[in-house]
Amino acid sequence: MDSNQSSVNSEQLSVGSGQWSLVPGQSPADRRVWGLIGLMTVLALLFVPISQLFLGVEYSYTLRVVAVGGALLGLISGALGCFAILRRQSLIGDVLAHAALPGVAVAFLLFGRQLGLLLIGAGIAGWLGVYFIRAVTGTTRLKEDAAMGIVLASWYAAGVALLVYIQSRPDASQAGLKTFIFGQAAAIVEQDLWLIGGVGTAALLILALFWKEFKLITFDAEFAGANGFRLNFLTMLLSTLIVVAIVLGLQLAGVILMVGMLIAPGIAARQWTNKLEQMVILAAVLGAFSGGAGAVISATAVGIPTGPTIIVVAVGLALISMAFAPGRGLVWQQWRAWQDRRRFAGQRALHDLYHYAIDHGSPKTPVPDAFLSGIHGRSAQRALQQLVTQGQVERRNGKWVLTLAGVETAARQAHNQLLWAVYREYGHSLGLPVINEDRRQKIELLLTAEMIRKLENKLEETLV
Amino acid sequence: MFYIEQLLIQLLLNFVERDGLNAFWRDPQNTAVVIGAFIAICGGLLGVFLLLRGMALVSDAISHTALLGIVIAFLILTAVVGQAADLSSPWLILGAALAGVATVIITEALHQSGLIKQDAALGLSFTLLFALAIILISGYVDHVHLDEDAVMVGEIGLAWANTNSHCLANCETVTITPDDPRAEIVRQCINCRALGITPRDEGAIFQEFCANCGVYTPGQAWAAGLTVGQPLLVFWPKAVTVMGVLLLLTLLFVLLFYKELKLSTFDPGLAQALGFRPAWFNYGLMLMVSLVAVGAFDAVGSILVVAFFIVPPAAAYLLTDRLPIMLFLSGLIGAAGAYFGYGLASGNLFGLWQMDNVLINLNRALGLELASRWDSSISASMVLMIFFFFVLAWLLSPRYGLVSTLIRRHRQNRYFDDQVAMGHIYHHQDTATELEELMAASLHIHLRWTPEKMTAVLKRLQAANLVKIVNGGARLTPRGRQQVESFRQANLSSL
Repeated sequence: MDSNQSSVNSEQLSVGSGQWSLVPGQSPADRRVWGLIGLMTVLALLFVPISQLFLGVEYSYTLRVVAVGGALLGLISGALGCFAILRRQSLIGDVLAHAALPGVAVAFLLFGRQLGLLLIGAGIAGWLGVYFIRAVTGTTRLKEDAAMGIVLASWYAAGVALLVYIQSRPDASQAGLKTFIFGQAAAIVEQDLWLIGGVGTAALLILALFWKEFKLITFDAEFAGANGFRLNFLTMLLSTLIVVAIVLGLQLAGVILMVGMLIAPGIAARQWTNKLEQMVILAAVLGAFSGGAGAVISATAVGIPTGPTIIVVAVGLALISMAFAPGRGLVWQQWRAWQDRRRFAGQRALHDLYHYAIDHGSPKTPVPDAFLSGIHGRSAQRALQQLVTQGQVERRNGKWVLTLAGVETAARQAHNQLLWAVYREYGHSLGLPVINEDRRQKIELLLTAEMIRKLENKLEETLV
Repeated sequence: MFYIEQLLIQLLLNFVERDGLNAFWRDPQNTAVVIGAFIAICGGLLGVFLLLRGMALVSDAISHTALLGIVIAFLILTAVVGQAADLSSPWLILGAALAGVATVIITEALHQSGLIKQDAALGLSFTLLFALAIILISGYVDHVHLDEDAVMVGEIGLAWANTNSHCLANCETVTITPDDPRAEIVRQCINCRALGITPRDEGAIFQEFCANCGVYTPGQAWAAGLTVGQPLLVFWPKAVTVMGVLLLLTLLFVLLFYKELKLSTFDPGLAQALGFRPAWFNYGLMLMVSLVAVGAFDAVGSILVVAFFIVPPAAAYLLTDRLPIMLFLSGLIGAAGAYFGYGLASGNLFGLWQMDNVLINLNRALGLELASRWDSSISASMVLMIFFFFVLAWLLSPRYGLVSTLIRRHRQNRYFDDQVAMGHIYHHQDTATELEELMAASLHIHLRWTPEKMTAVLKRLQAANLVKIVNGGARLTPRGRQQVESFRQANLSSL
């Protein structure tokens, strides 16, 4: 059973192998990520001629504006969304998108439909929401998700109340406000692009300027606080940037889908890399790709809404990444597990046969079929075949018996497991170096003869 | 639903007159408040378990993805029936509820893969499903009032107008066929328009039509003069029945499975070990949440439903530590919010505050031209009222409120200051450094306090007869000495 357990261990290890690496320098994995970033950039640029040739897309003025706007917004929200994901605040996007509504309504009530002022109103309302969440979680025992839910629902209700009041007015000047809330890409005009581009660039510049600080508060806030970084200020600054990204994206994706726009590129990027700078750049590129490509795809047929198409592209990229990202994706996990099972099937079966035989008297005790197929199921057949070809097991009277070589191998393996167990228990006190605990490996190969002797002595001690 | 209503009406008529019943439901306020309270109690009860499980935002996701369930059920129904399906069909509600559960399952699956965190999984799955729903709607659903707006924004104030009528007496349904003596037969030229001729011209072909044939409900029959006695009708708002049934289901669910829900919420491991299958109760809870969310769509819209799930339990959580009381308070706060929220919609806060006056003053002060009548969404106002109660609980909760926390901290600060000052005096009293360390005028320097604070602390200690000033030097009274010694014994016993 021991080897069985260790194979499970190694699977978990490989799943959890997404450790954040702090060592600078270029590994093959790094080059792969930079390659991917380059590839996606080229794809995004090539998308225009390809879509013209094969999809018959005509780049009208509207489509050009919408596609550029989508790409810009995808870039900004993709880059900033990474921090929301890593801080386990993915749903903050959903909350702030809803919370922006009363700000939009008040700004509209006071100043009319001027995009800049509406955005400022939305930003202030979202920022108040962030502040409220911090106040509630800081002073009560309510968890962050509950506080976020309260802000989402209550702010939105205030917005709806104001909107209904606005709509009860006789003049029709509120036309266009609703499209702003539910997101309508076609409503974006060239002037808006300059606004989005300008504000977005400013946000990204701030991100670059405070890069080290943001990295620190994202991964180890306590450490940052202990080292004199102004935690409150930095957290609020980062939240403000996220508010800006959301407020800009609202008119494209709409209140409800904004969260997808914010987190999907980051989730996709996270699957490919363990380094923050790579993740942010890749997320920005993927976001820009989704924004542009989604806008273009939605133009291929009448009646496909732009916002949802962009979201489907972005979430699709995230799901593809989760499936195929090298080393981490689900397909790779499954493949590795399958390979491991295959490679170690014989070893496991031998182990079980040996222990059964010993428990029933001597190592030469015959073992019935039912025992192995009971433990190993369908893989028992393959395992036994492996063992027979290696000459470690033979069939006698419808039962399986270990050969001399088999007994020897099994005993050696069992001894190896014991040494591993001793290493785990006493390795530290014996002054042995720390090695990766993979019990399928022979421990003799990983430690020097001197160290093995120490382990052997300790083993004898404990057995006595 | 229809039969449930009839049973209920029969029951109610034992206590109230028919006219009273009709008048009651015809008042928009009564209908809105009853429906609002039903939704609030359902949401409050289920929301408590969501909150305690840390799944508050799941209700938000579910209420959005339900749209996909509605759309898919609608498309399937339309394909099966051959014509646009009825939007109030129970199949659509079932589809929506299943979509809600599917959201949870997909989220769990994404999370279980170990690749992304729970919150990211939720955000990913529900935006994908909602985006698909909108694409499906814009691509395949035409000429039907099924769009984001229909689901996102509801109005509880109109619920009173959407009723079923139930007949109590003179319930004659009249069917008029062409053979009936009451049938009005008219002759009509059927080819006149096509040929451009008048009925008098030759070649005009006539056909006889029955102008008033068809089936008349008792009410229609009486209005058309086909029956003699006026039918006695009771009008019953449909939403009341839907939410009433959901409330009943919720109550049954919570009462029957109270023990299991409690256990699987607080200790899923133990529940599993005892054989309770916490996963089943999890999905059961999600199914109930979906059902309530969908049932409340019409009345309050899908985003505002979320408020009824999250805010009342959060307020109740700040008021109590016991689950039964929390459930009760949560339902109560929700229902009270529904009751007082109705007034808020017309700008009236408990009768203390009139929004209209505020608007008029705003216009006057800032020179704005806002409409001076505040008449707003009732459901949103109910949510705002619940939020108001949450803020009250947050400020005033006896144990966890801001005010009581501040008072407690203030007391602790004072107590700590007293102990520090008395400890200092105790340490130096009757020693060689006494004259230097304990002069009342310079005491603050040794403690590194401001003179004002020192004076206040000394005054307090003198008033409590713990310290006295002798010749300008601070000394402990016997009572003060005793207190310091007992403090040292209790807190510094390791010294």
